[in-house]
Amino acid sequence: MSTALDVRNLCVLFGGAGRTEVAGQSVSRYTFEDPTIADMLRRLPGYHVGLVDISFTVNRGDCLAVLGVSGSGKSSLLRTLAGLQPTIRGTVLVNGADVSSQPPERRGVVYLHQEPVLFPHLSVLENVAFPMTVRGVNKQTAMHRGVEWLQRLQVGGVMGFFPESLSGGQRHRVALARALCADPAVLLLDEPLASLDPAVRRDVREALQEARAASGAAMVLVTHDLDDALAVATHITSVERFGRLSAPALAAEILEQPPSLETARVLGVYAEFDGEVCASPSGNLFRWIGGSVSAPLVAVGGAVACVRSHEVQLHRGNQLDVPALTVTSLRDGARDAVLTVRHSLGEEATLRVGSGTSVGVGEVVQVTLRHARIFPSPLS
Amino acid sequence: MTFVRTPITRSLLLLALATFALAPLLMLIATSLARGWFYPVVVPSGIDGSAWQELFTDTAHRSALLNSLILGVATALTATACALPLGRAAAGSTRVVRRAVALLAFTAVALPPVVLGVGLQLTVLTLGLGGTLFGVFLSHLVPALGYLTLVFLGVFTRWDPRLEEAAATLGATGRMRWRMVVLPLLRRPIAEALALGFLVSWAQVALTLLVGGGAVQTLPLDVLAMLQSGQDQRAAAGALALTIPALIVLSASRIVARNTSAVVA
Repeated sequence: MSTALDVRNLCVLFGGAGRTEVAGQSVSRYTFEDPTIADMLRRLPGYHVGLVDISFTVNRGDCLAVLGVSGSGKSSLLRTLAGLQPTIRGTVLVNGADVSSQPPERRGVVYLHQEPVLFPHLSVLENVAFPMTVRGVNKQTAMHRGVEWLQRLQVGGVMGFFPESLSGGQRHRVALARALCADPAVLLLDEPLASLDPAVRRDVREALQEARAASGAAMVLVTHDLDDALAVATHITSVERFGRLSAPALAAEILEQPPSLETARVLGVYAEFDGEVCASPSGNLFRWIGGSVSAPLVAVGGAVACVRSHEVQLHRGNQLDVPALTVTSLRDGARDAVLTVRHSLGEEATLRVGSGTSVGVGEVVQVTLRHARIFPSPLS
Repeated sequence: MTFVRTPITRSLLLLALATFALAPLLMLIATSLARGWFYPVVVPSGIDGSAWQELFTDTAHRSALLNSLILGVATALTATACALPLGRAAAGSTRVVRRAVALLAFTAVALPPVVLGVGLQLTVLTLGLGGTLFGVFLSHLVPALGYLTLVFLGVFTRWDPRLEEAAATLGATGRMRWRMVVLPLLRRPIAEALALGFLVSWAQVALTLLVGGGAVQTLPLDVLAMLQSGQDQRAAAGALALTIPALIVLSASRIVARNTSAVVA
């Protein structure tokens, strides 16, 4: 499969006054540690370095989800790729051509804002045909192509309407149809599912899946929601501390084994337990208040285990080699139940198990971790 | 203020407003068409359209009318053409620049016409343009540009830049974005700006008088001269003639603005 988007050592800037923090780290670190960057930034007043050394590739038909907390620079990354904001370093190749210094209209990259931005003075069909019209395609062909995309995305019935009369889901679908009508090599999606109610969210997710299947464009989706990423993306990466991206991996792989504790935290589906890795004759072991699990690849010292809810098993049994823990609090949610357990020595841990657990507060349980990802503690 | 909400109070307030707004106009219409209507006569002795006829046949009046139209159109077009990019640039600048532009524009609007007129008279005289139509045009441009810069500054402060970003990534060049996105969406403010620019010049007395020095005659100056010389009937007809283009321009701007999106309205 051919590479549609190849990003190399890109530096992403944050614009606007008063923006001085990147993912909790002072940006001055980047501004002043590299004299070349500091020198170039002087020519762009009001900008600060956000993300550094960003490199990844996306193949045609693939979708890379960039996960990160709010303010971590995800949107700025997309805007830089689209040419909507300046950069001072790095290369963006689209279908093998260097577009780093090209204006947005010459990049073959379409950027979709979080809120669909439709031209209010044009009908839905005129909106969708817009990319063809600006390329000088004759009106009849442009309209024909527009109708095709509207029908593919199941909004053919509103082609004569004006944007103001569309529902939220329809607006998203129309914006997507318009983007696909531009036949982009790369489609950039800036949190298209954020701030949507569940029904519209499902609808737009479906539309994105359809779009990915139908267009063959490489897609980059930024989101802070793992479910959205899993629904649409083939690969996932996340914004980590110091403004860097984790190595992109297949969605299933990254869930199975996140590359770092930070990525695991961004994914947001793991419960964390503190403990320590100790050497033993059978290899290193991670010990926590509920027992121990094998951790052969982690160095001895403080460590954190990340475990998904379905990987935690609670027993009311009485195995001699497994510590007994008392449930001190329980909060049952729609997906998970969060419970706090206490060891007889007073130490506590918070577990996440499947919702509807049968244990109650005050009960004594033993815990088995069927799978745990162990990372060195960031504090050690 | 709950008393304002009662139907009777509302009707009375509406009546008072209508009286204040329409009474002068009704009086002008009556005077312009009345024959032999002098105080204390309550009802005129007959109807006489000669004042209207003279207004359009007399060479001096026609020349004044033409000057007013030339000045109005030139001022509207020039002020709009300058204020639009100025307002856009200022809206996209820092807050300090925005405030400075707004303050300058407001100064041109808020200065008493006599103060502005004297200042402009001295400037225009220095440029050797005193008593010329071009000099008067330049003087009309100052308040018109002030008003319109404030208008476009407001428009572009509320402008959604994402529209142009979307158009850009869909393949539209800068010129296409202007032609296909920005200008169609600005149709309404542009129409209103043209109307406002025209009206600022059309109704201008003080600046025309001071800068034109009597050599440039416009319809408002003509009306003033007729009033001062006791030609009430002709002054009334001239005053009414002043309102006609104003009404046409306002109606035209409304029609042009119809079906325009509210994105920037």
